[in-house]
Amino acid sequence: MTSSATVVPTAEKGTSLGADAWRRLKRNRVALAGGIALVLIVTACFVLPVLLGMDPETTDPTRKNLPPSLQHFFGTDTLGRDYLARVLVGGQTSLLVGLAATAAVVIVGVLYGAVAGYYGGRVDEILMRFVDFLYGIPYMFLVILVMLMFSDTERGNPIPVFFALGLVQWLAMARIVRGQVLTLREREFVLAARVTGAGDMRIIVRHILPNVLGIVVIYATLTVPAVIILESFLSFLGLGVKLSWGQLVAEGVSVVNPIDSYWWLLFWPSVLLALTLFSLNFLGDGLRDALDPRTRR
Amino acid sequence: MNESRFAGAQWMAIGVAVLTLVIGLAIGWREAAVIGLGTGFIAGTAWWSAAMVRVGGSLMLAGVVWIFAAPNLGPGAAALVVTGVAALTWKFLPTRVQRRVCFMLPSLVMLIFVTSMLMYMAPGNPFAQEKVASPQVEEALRKLYGVPRDPTEFFIIYMKRLVLEGSLGPAIKVQGRTVQDLLMPALPVSISLGLLALILACGIGLVLGIRAGLKPNSAADYSSMALAMVGISLPNFVIGAGLMIVFSLSLGWLPVAGWGGYPHLILPALTLALPYAAYIARLARGGTIEVMQQDFVRTARAKGLSESTIIVKHALKGAILPVVSFLGPAAAGILTGSFVVETLFGIPGMGQWFVKGAINRDYSVVLGTAIIYCTLVTAFNLFVDLAYAWLDPRIREER
Amino acid sequence: MIHRNLLGIGATFVVALGVVGLTFSASVEDPADFRFINGTEPKSLDPQIVTGQPEGRIADAIFEGLTYREPSSLRPVPGAAESWVISEDQTVYTFTMRPDAVWSDGTPVTAHDFAWTWRRLQEPALGAEYAYILHMVKGAEIYNTYAAAASALEGPIATALATLRADHVAGVDADAWQTFVATEHVNDYVKGTKNALLLRVISQREGSLDAALLEQVADALAAEATRRRTAHAYSVQHFGIDEGVFARDDTTLVVELIAPTPYFLELTAFYPTYPSPRHIVEAEGNAQNWFLPGKIVTNGPFLLESWKVNDRIRLRKSATYWGRDDIHVEVVDAYSIENATTSLNLYLTGAVDWVPATYPVDLVDTLKKRPDFYKNPGMVVYYYRFNTSRPPFDDVRVRQAVCLSIDRKLIVEEVLGLGQLPATHFVPPGLAGYEPPNSELPATLDLERAGELLAEAGYPGGKGFPKISILFNTSESHKKIAEVIADQLRRNLGLPVEAHNQEWQAYQDSTRLLKYDIARAGWIGDYLDPNTFLDLWVTNGGNNQTGWGSPVYDRLIQAAGEVGAFVRDPDALVAKLREPDRARAILADVAASTDQAQRIAAEGRLRMHLFREAEAILVQDEFPVMPIYFYVVSGLVAPHVQGFYSELTDAEGNKSANLQDLHPVRGISLRAATSSGGDR
Repeated sequence: MTSSATVVPTAEKGTSLGADAWRRLKRNRVALAGGIALVLIVTACFVLPVLLGMDPETTDPTRKNLPPSLQHFFGTDTLGRDYLARVLVGGQTSLLVGLAATAAVVIVGVLYGAVAGYYGGRVDEILMRFVDFLYGIPYMFLVILVMLMFSDTERGNPIPVFFALGLVQWLAMARIVRGQVLTLREREFVLAARVTGAGDMRIIVRHILPNVLGIVVIYATLTVPAVIILESFLSFLGLGVKLSWGQLVAEGVSVVNPIDSYWWLLFWPSVLLALTLFSLNFLGDGLRDALDPRTRR
Repeated sequence: MNESRFAGAQWMAIGVAVLTLVIGLAIGWREAAVIGLGTGFIAGTAWWSAAMVRVGGSLMLAGVVWIFAAPNLGPGAAALVVTGVAALTWKFLPTRVQRRVCFMLPSLVMLIFVTSMLMYMAPGNPFAQEKVASPQVEEALRKLYGVPRDPTEFFIIYMKRLVLEGSLGPAIKVQGRTVQDLLMPALPVSISLGLLALILACGIGLVLGIRAGLKPNSAADYSSMALAMVGISLPNFVIGAGLMIVFSLSLGWLPVAGWGGYPHLILPALTLALPYAAYIARLARGGTIEVMQQDFVRTARAKGLSESTIIVKHALKGAILPVVSFLGPAAAGILTGSFVVETLFGIPGMGQWFVKGAINRDYSVVLGTAIIYCTLVTAFNLFVDLAYAWLDPRIREER
Repeated sequence: MIHRNLLGIGATFVVALGVVGLTFSASVEDPADFRFINGTEPKSLDPQIVTGQPEGRIADAIFEGLTYREPSSLRPVPGAAESWVISEDQTVYTFTMRPDAVWSDGTPVTAHDFAWTWRRLQEPALGAEYAYILHMVKGAEIYNTYAAAASALEGPIATALATLRADHVAGVDADAWQTFVATEHVNDYVKGTKNALLLRVISQREGSLDAALLEQVADALAAEATRRRTAHAYSVQHFGIDEGVFARDDTTLVVELIAPTPYFLELTAFYPTYPSPRHIVEAEGNAQNWFLPGKIVTNGPFLLESWKVNDRIRLRKSATYWGRDDIHVEVVDAYSIENATTSLNLYLTGAVDWVPATYPVDLVDTLKKRPDFYKNPGMVVYYYRFNTSRPPFDDVRVRQAVCLSIDRKLIVEEVLGLGQLPATHFVPPGLAGYEPPNSELPATLDLERAGELLAEAGYPGGKGFPKISILFNTSESHKKIAEVIADQLRRNLGLPVEAHNQEWQAYQDSTRLLKYDIARAGWIGDYLDPNTFLDLWVTNGGNNQTGWGSPVYDRLIQAAGEVGAFVRDPDALVAKLREPDRARAILADVAASTDQAQRIAAEGRLRMHLFREAEAILVQDEFPVMPIYFYVVSGLVAPHVQGFYSELTDAEGNKSANLQDLHPVRGISLRAATSSGGDR
């Protein structure tokens, strides 16, 4: 690592750092657009269905497979349900799964990575070996096993999905945090804290974690899309539980074919999925640039 | 800075203890004890001295060789081979690699144990049929296939079979074959698909990334990155279906699915490669931007070196380094993540097995795929680490 | 440095490409003449072990029974047997083997092969699921099940009964008694008993059983165990050797049946009865791998050339098959592909010639307009089970209300759209001789009556109704139906219903352990007879899985199984019938019959009437299940494929539907000079 990074961890400077980053983020139009799009999508998914009393469940097989029209902006699906309602309500699951799993990833990954990076040496070596080892286990395999374990619950319960998807994503987070902590612990302010007699716990919590927050936020914005995509694989394999974008996309794929295609069934969920992931990615990139002091010129 | 070699070990001890407690309360104390002792032992290998590591690693490797040599060569020849392997590895294998071996093999055993437990916790069993069989028939089948009702007993039977016979056990849902009979033909299929995908991912990713990185914030940058984003933002079964529709169903250039010739390989490999190509492009872009801002590149430009020379000599290097460190996880993902692609394109690879194995509760198949994948990916990671050390001398010194 | 980089990278790529290339060089094959999607990977090719269509298609091609199904009529015609004689009472069949029938290694196929194989099918240790289809052969059921039944009766059941008696000295109430019967599978082990006491108490669901009665039951069970053990010992000595099925000499096979079985010859063209090559099976030490390529020896029109798991099975025309001149395709590929989109795409690009059923269900509206699309009614019922063991569906009024509130017509016309029939009965139409009873189930809706029933049950307008879920195993088509039905119940009755999927294994666990409210199911008839549908619902039957049972129903099914016994003592049961006059009229016919043939015919009609009475219980009073529709089987077959019949024509020129969806590969021929099948 070069020595150009100058993150100073005191409280008042911390806010100015935040303000500084915010200022730079605002200047990054792509990232800003991503953020705005994200807010719009979340609002649409969580507020619109309630506000307009949309019903994603009411079937009317006599009005099935209608292309988008003024009555049904997104068309209707194979059972004649309003597709706009389904896409929005499906978004709730996908976004929730993404956020909840990411929260789990952040907690586990940061703790694990901080311990490994802070102590270094043998502890680091073995903890990272373990991460490497888990990388070697097919992630989908873990997810499927966990999903199966919980599959006898009588009604669809999305919590196992959060848990299972979070389970496989924390590895990368742990690696990244560990890498950061490894360099941070050699820095003057940590040494200074150490000299004043602060305990390991206190140093980690008060001095190191605030400094890795930036990269954690960035990586978290990248985890959300990864989890949403992972959930779509589950749906593709028939292990999905709830109405979600992944499930809609998986169903949509089977009805798009040159001989006949209800293209809107694939198009809308794909567009929303892609838009969300685009936004999150751009926002993540923007955050990275804003928080990375080296890009300050 | 490490005051003690054991700094931080208390956290690991606490971690293991909590794990043991949770498993003990949730599942059973016998299982908890096995897991607690196992993880404790594995964590303990970190404090083994170099000499212990060399001896332990060589012995473990020799043991593995024995397992597979003994049934095929007979005990005499196997003993000879094993002694040779033990001696050679002890003498020549770097300590770093030995240390990995000491970690890996016990971990694999733990993996088998934990996976057995998880599988048994899932509802259903491999002998459930649509029409209910009599309990006697089920008992007879359980005996025949070595699948008792208790996961720990199953683990013991499985390990015995693995160690004494070098066999991964009989497959249940496809009768008459052992798990290795099923997986051995599938492994080269997955590996060749994965390798081709990896090559494509690197090729596409590097080209896009360098193109974008050379002129940041230009049209070339945005178009390349937008293309890459598509790869990340859509599940690959959507991309695969799209490729199928365009290149097979509409244009008729490539076979739509199936296995049997080179053309069958192209679409699935491309589908598998695209998300990784996108990541690689982003990494390569960042690397290129960084290297192009360095003073020596400016100097080279000032000296009037041609742009192509600069790209080959400097940009490429800047682009490749971050990519190489991504290759380990990427290879793991590509090799293990092919199940969707294999299902979509009807390819008889490994990916299908661990999905089918889990869904059919074919316990031996599940364990067999997990073991093979894990070994493969770890070996690949080791290879990447060595390659990285070779490419970037700074890393070598740090270790 | 940089050159080293490039060199290293280049070398890695070359090595990688080399590996890719090498794995391929060996795997390229010539194209096959006829290629089809076979669905799930076959689990085995041992004809006595396999079940299911994918396995059946291959077994039909590589093995041959005493008869085979002529492709255009599916009637059994001489196969490994050249001819046969049926005794006057229709219980003894004497087959003469075809002299030129040989195994693919040149060994002749003899009567001994069949006698051995049929005994093998009943071998308890083999655990053959389809053993029961030959239980009408004398001694077969005894050989197959009596040893296990005797052990169970003497062992766990006796112990459990002793515990029950010790715990309830004053007597056991019917609920506890039925729990005992169900958990110990007592039904299965005393099946076919003549002991009147046992028959009575097993279906006893009311009142209680006192200590004296329980002692009698224990004695009766012990006696039953002894009887079974003796009978089994006898069958070990005789079944397949000189009783039931046996070879009089190399070319003569004798089969003795317990009772006349009109469909017996059809069974000789059904794969569980195909011969296994004894000399190979025994040489492989009875290990379950004799059917792998390189080991297997077969007697059918095709040979198993290769079997690549998860990819394809390749068949090649046999050069030793006696009828080889009538086989018109040389190489056949059966692809193991389950994904519907992939299957359809392969067909559309001309890579396969036949896709049975595995196409995306949502595209059916377009596909059914194509000329290469075929469909025919299938002998399959799609239905929902109610869990009658717990509220709210322990109340028959709630079950009936739900049955009245789904619009079957809308489902078949708009959701399925292939001409499926709305099911207001459980037994599919088209079974010869069977006249279904009237049904209380409407094809559309009867919401008024449903509302009344629901109110009577204490849930007016759905108020206070617990949250329930419709369980289905993961599949696109099950999901659509479950979601429509959940929505209909929600809107028509105001019930809080949710559709919920589980993957296959978990779903099976849930239904078996009665952990569901409503669960989706389907039943494919094993043979063309109502019994295959109706014996599901006997109390505690293995496939019942609803917790429902009715003594009268059980007796009806039992009487239909042994009409002879019923005719001797009909009165008790006839008194409980809905249409006793009709039953009495047929009984009079039986009594008046002058010759064997007349009597058999009249007894056949009586049997059908008993089934009709049984089904009436399901669809008029009790509603343990909710039939939804009867299947239509469909698929796509390329126009150049000849010899593919979705409508059958018998010798007299009568047309009928291909109810079992059988399309034997042996009948296929390809129209010449056609390069590829499907159009784009």
